[in-house]
Order: sequence, then C-alpha cells, then structure tokens
Amino acid sequence: MSDAIARFFDDLGRSGRGRLEKRTSGTIRFDLVGDHGVHHWLVTITDGEIRVSRENRDADTVVRTDDAFFRRLARGEATPMSAWLRNDITTEGEFRYIVLLRRLFPPPVGARHPRSLTPGPAEPA
Amino acid sequence: MNELVRILDGNNFVLSDGNGDIDAGPRGACGFFEMDTRFLSQWRLTVNGERLNALAVDDPHHFEMRFFLVPGKPTHYVDATVSVIRERCIAGTGFEERLTVLNHADREVDFTVRLAADSDFSPVYSIIAKPMERPGQIYRRVEEGRLRLGYRREKFRRETVIATSEPARIDEYGLTYDIRIGPHQRWMTTLRVDGLVLRPDGEDVREHISPHRTRTAGQLRVELDRWLARAPQLTCDWEALAITYRRSLVDLAGLRFAPLALPDDPMPAAGLPWAATVTGRDSLLCSLQALHVAPELAHATLRVLGIGQGANLDDFRDEEPGKILRQFRYGELSAFEERPESPYYGSADTTPLFVILLDEYERWTGDAALVTELEEQTRAALAWIDEYGDIMGDGYLWYRSRNGASGLVNQGWKDSPDAISYRDGTLPGLPRATCELQGYAYDAKVRGARLAREFWNDPAYADRLEREAAALRQRFNRDFWIDDGEYFALALEADGRQVDALSSNIGHLLWSGIVDESRADRIVAHLLGPRLFSGWGVRTLAKGEGRYNPLGYHVGTVWPFDNSLIAWGLRRYGYAREAGILAEAMLDAAHYFDGRLPESFAGYDRDVTRFPVSYPTANSPHAVTTAAPFLLLRVLLGLQPLGDNLVIMPSLPARFGRIELLDIPGRWGRRDAIGNAHGQRASASR
Repeated sequence: MSDAIARFFDDLGRSGRGRLEKRTSGTIRFDLVGDHGVHHWLVTITDGEIRVSRENRDADTVVRTDDAFFRRLARGEATPMSAWLRNDITTEGEFRYIVLLRRLFPPPVGARHPRSLTPGPAEPA
Repeated sequence: MNELVRILDGNNFVLSDGNGDIDAGPRGACGFFEMDTRFLSQWRLTVNGERLNALAVDDPHHFEMRFFLVPGKPTHYVDATVSVIRERCIAGTGFEERLTVLNHADREVDFTVRLAADSDFSPVYSIIAKPMERPGQIYRRVEEGRLRLGYRREKFRRETVIATSEPARIDEYGLTYDIRIGPHQRWMTTLRVDGLVLRPDGEDVREHISPHRTRTAGQLRVELDRWLARAPQLTCDWEALAITYRRSLVDLAGLRFAPLALPDDPMPAAGLPWAATVTGRDSLLCSLQALHVAPELAHATLRVLGIGQGANLDDFRDEEPGKILRQFRYGELSAFEERPESPYYGSADTTPLFVILLDEYERWTGDAALVTELEEQTRAALAWIDEYGDIMGDGYLWYRSRNGASGLVNQGWKDSPDAISYRDGTLPGLPRATCELQGYAYDAKVRGARLAREFWNDPAYADRLEREAAALRQRFNRDFWIDDGEYFALALEADGRQVDALSSNIGHLLWSGIVDESRADRIVAHLLGPRLFSGWGVRTLAKGEGRYNPLGYHVGTVWPFDNSLIAWGLRRYGYAREAGILAEAMLDAAHYFDGRLPESFAGYDRDVTRFPVSYPTANSPHAVTTAAPFLLLRVLLGLQPLGDNLVIMPSLPARFGRIELLDIPGRWGRRDAIGNAHGQRASASR
C-alpha cells in the first residue's frame, strides 16, 4: 500500500461522475497485492456517481494487480485495456467493466486536442 | 498462393491446404487462429511417412469440413489400399479433428500415422501486413495424452493444447500412432486442439469473463438453421438474385461474432478471416444494409460500439471523447502497444454512422428502449462531430491522425494512403475533409434531431441540430461544388482548396440527402456516365484522373458496397431507373461468382473484359459486400418505414421479372413485399 494509491481512490471518490456516463452502474473491486498482503478497494458506481470504500465483498468485476503497476495506472502511464491484454492486470467478471476502467484512470499524459496540430503536408505514403 | 480452404466461427478459424494440412512456413497465411493469434502454424498428416492427397473435399457448413484422402501421388490413386477421412469442426476454443484410416486390403496391415504440429504464435497483423520480430519464448511440453505448445512474453501467454482420444507416442513436434488394422477394417482417433489465452495463473481469461460462452458444433448447426428460418424468404424470377440472396444469408451467419463485452449479442465482423473482430465502420454499414433482413445485428453493433465509445484524448489510439472506434484486436501487438488497436479510433465516419444507424434502426423496429439506453452515447457522438471532428473550426468534419508512426493517413472508408488526391494525382495536405463525411455529419444531425424530439424530450436540442444541419448543407453546396466539372470535390484542404478528383464519394452524398435538388441531375449524370460507370458499377475514382488505375484498391476498382449505398441515394432522389441499373449490374456480376460478390472488382470497361475481374483481396466473405445485395433488394422494392407502416414502391428493371420478399420483420410485425417489372404494381399483404 502506498499513499499514492490511497490518494487516487480518495480523488476518485470525490470526483463525482468524472468521465463516467450517467447510466453506468455496477461495482468494481480492486485487489492490490503489496508487500503486506492484499488490500481491497471497492468502487461502487450508481448512475454514474462513484463511491469508494475498503470493503472486501462481491463485485461485478474484480481487478487484480500489484501496487507498483497500479501506481502506473493511477499516473496515466499505462492503459487499462492493453494492461489487461498483457496480464499486467487480471480480472474476474463482466468485460464491459474492464472497458470502463479507462474512464476511472487518468488519460495518457501529453495527449493533444486535434485542433492543436497545425495543418501540414501529407506524410509521404 | 494456393487456394486455402477454411472453417470458421467468428474469430476462431482454420485455414489449410486442400488436403487439410497446415504448413505455414515463415510467410504463409494458413493456420489455426483465434483471438488474433495463430495457434498452429504446422499441422501435417502423414501415413507411413507419405503426405496425403485429397480426392474430395466437402464443406457442409462454414464451421465443418471433410477431406477424403489417399497417400502418395495422383498416379497411385487407382490401387490405393488405404484411405483417410479427415473431419474437422470448429468447437469451443478450438477445433476437433476425427481421423479415420481405412484398410482396403484383404489382410491385416500395420500403419504409422503421424500428425506433425508446431506453432509460431504469430499475431494476425504480422501475417497480413508485415512480419515483426517478437521477443517472446516458445516452449513445448509433452504431457499424458497431450502436447502443449506455448508462447510467453512477460506475463502474456498463449498455449495450444493438442489432445488425442487414442493412445499415441507424443514428442515435442507431434503425435505418432502405431496401429494395426484388420482386413477391410477401420481405425479412428479424435484430436482436440484448443487455443488458450492464459493468465499468469494458467487459467484462460475467457473463463473469468461472465457470462462465459463457447459453442459446440451442435449448437452452431441449430443456430444456422434458426438464422435461415428467421430471415425473410425470397422468391424471384431471376436466378442470379435468388442464389446471391441465399449465399449472402449463409455468409452473414458465419460473419456473426460474439464480442467479449456482449457474448449473447452477435454483431457482424468486418470480414473473414482476417478482420474477424470488433470493428466500427464495417459493422455499422453491414447492419444498416441488413436492417430489413436481420435487425438484431444493428442492436448488437450499436450496443457494443456504445460500450467502446471514446472517453479520453489519446494520441496513440487517435481517441477522443465521444468517438466511435475503428477496430479492436486482442493480440500481442495491441497488448504491448506496438499497434494501436486496443482499440484504435482512427475513423472519421464511424461516429456519424453510429447516429445514422440508431435512427434507422428505430424507424424499422420501433425499439425505443435502445434509443433511450443510448441517449448519452448518441449525444456524445453528435458532440464529437463539432468538438473534435471539426478540426479547423469551420463547421466541417475533418480528419488527421495524431499517431505519426502507426496511425492512418486517410480515415474514411477509402483509407489507403493514395485514395484522396487531386485530378493531377497530387496528394492533399492534412487535415482533410472528404465530401462523404460532410454528408454523414449532415444526416447524423438531421436524424439526431428526430431522436431528440421524439424520444429524449429535448426540442431545443433538436432545433439546434436542425439549424446546424441546414447551415452545413448550405455551406457544403457552396464550398465543395466544382463549377467547371459540375460535381462535388472529393475533399477540402485546410486552406479551403477543393481536392478536385471525380470520385464515387459523390454518390454517398445522395444517400445522405445533403445535395441540393437542383444539382442532383448533374451528379447522377456523372455517376452513370462513362468516366465513373464501368458497366459493372460505379468506379471509386473516375477514368482520366491522375491516380486512376482499374486495379487500384481505392482508385479505380468497383466496390459492391459502395454501389449499394449509391443506389440507395439514387432512389432517395427519385432516380429509380438509375438505381435499377446499378442493382442489375451488381447482381449480374454476382452471378459470375456463384452469388458471393468479391469485395471489389477491376474498373475495366464492361465491353473490354465481358466478365467482372475480381480484385484479389484478403477477406471473403466481407461483411459490407455480403450485405450489399440486401440493400439493393430494399432499393428495388422501394422499402421504407413510415410511422408504423412499411411503404413498398417497387421499381424493377425488366431483367428481374417478379420479386417476392416475404416476412419482412419490423415494427409492423411481418410484411410481404412483391414487385413486378411488368406492370410495376406495389402490393403488400397482412
């Protein structure tokens, strides 16, 4: 466990809806493996509103990873779907909650709005 | 390349030589594939060390195949004293293969039967596009009754498990049976091959996704029968249409693919075998073309793409909030971010097409629940058009990849690098606003307005969308119209210059309804004129343009799906005769291919080649091509939902004679449509 992880979940719990859709409901439990055992964080989404608790109970999807990798997700350095395909996170439950993870974690650092690029010539084919 | 034979179910498929063997070598395309990975690159059967030759191959369904084999060279067939039946069937996470060895001699004979097996665990992309070095390790393990082949890269793991029902000597490179068969007796074994997508704990990821679905061969057979029974029944005078309709129905059944996000809701994959995955454009267009035949495809496609809708700004994936994805791949390259398909969002047309399909789907089915369910996604899609699609801030829909390494330069359906050009062949700069995208954006706004007014109780939003659509239409007819050629430019450049090549894209504009009525005559004259119309259909790029090539993928060939949308547009603007000409040409062409149209054919003039020259493409069947005849049928019969009724206004060329499409599903229940070229009387019953 680390402060960065607690801070991430604190912020998530305070963010209200964030990038979630209003019709989203469900529960995602994060099982984070650290030096001192497994810590559980339960994210409950009700009509797009997020609530975070430390309960260890059944969820629609359970996400398991280690503290170190979770911190990378929390910093926006890793993309949840690719991480899932690589087995850096493993899951149990419905796939649509795996797809939804990218709405909980920060987007990639340094991404640009399409309008921020200045027009230019076509790259050679 | 030799013709490969195959069986498949969604993204699980086996491509082999005509004798059932897989012998891929470093560049070969055959293999057993699943989840975007090749699980077998070698699967070679020998009897007494001899390879086998096929006397006959039988493929009763898309998921089953039988090979009748004898050892040795063709000259030995006459006195073959042994033959082998190899029966292969897709099932679950792999396939089953039953081998039957028949001893035709009148004495007992000993045989050595061997199946050599190996895998390179290659990602599909590196087979169809470019070979890539991969740092993972391959391993092989002999187990009790099984051979296990594996690939490991960090925590990423794939395994192929080959199990046999009969005892065999198993080594790291295959299975050997030493058998003795009595006179005129037979021996049998069943091999089961599974492709496993493993977690570090050795369990398959799919078993940990709920609900978990795999289908047995028996279930596949039942599903195919149900699918055929549920579709509208066609009877008609012209054999070409009957054969093509039947072929398309069967092919579309095989194209259905159950994505992990909605395992009970199959959507159409883009094409088989190489694009058997969740795709945006092809699934949306195919569902649209097939709405009156299989409306459930649209339901599945919209829900799956809604779940995958863009949420973030992500340059690598060309993702923006509200954008509908282009393609998802489950393989190693997505996992390690060597390719962006996790998923990739580099399509500018998928987002407006999503809105268009939802509206059209509701008009047919009356399924208001889905319109309510997808309200937020649909609003986000419409917002994407203005916020992220309008790169230049001038009210047009533009595209430009932010992924310089592996993003797509062109992001409409013509996505090859040279597809968008000036008359003289010059490639325009970026971003680009192709004309058909403006048509889709216009149509999406008009249809979005209807949804907002009728289902979301938001008349102010509806009014705004309608105002924007009207302004876009006006602006478009001013800025894209090329005075000296009297057609719409293929695209605009950032500085407003017209990319002035004459292309099939102008046909899509009729479908969208963005063309001023006063200009439709000119557009139709171009579409059916000698530069665009080859006799088999409308070419992607007009003869005489700098980059025109009758064999150019998007710069001269004729695409059936393109033509089906153009025919729909012609009908919309009242050019029923011209729509009929396209429909007749397409079905005439289909007849040359036993009812299975190729993705595209060469743009040669019809009177030069006399028959349609198929363009060699990777995918067949190809979803939007498979469904093109359905849309042509809709156009010919003039089917249009109006309130709770189905309007039927047939207009058939003489060649078609009489067409009866019975039990068309929709909000009206089931309805029959009958058209007759002689007399052109509309009729409907029930």
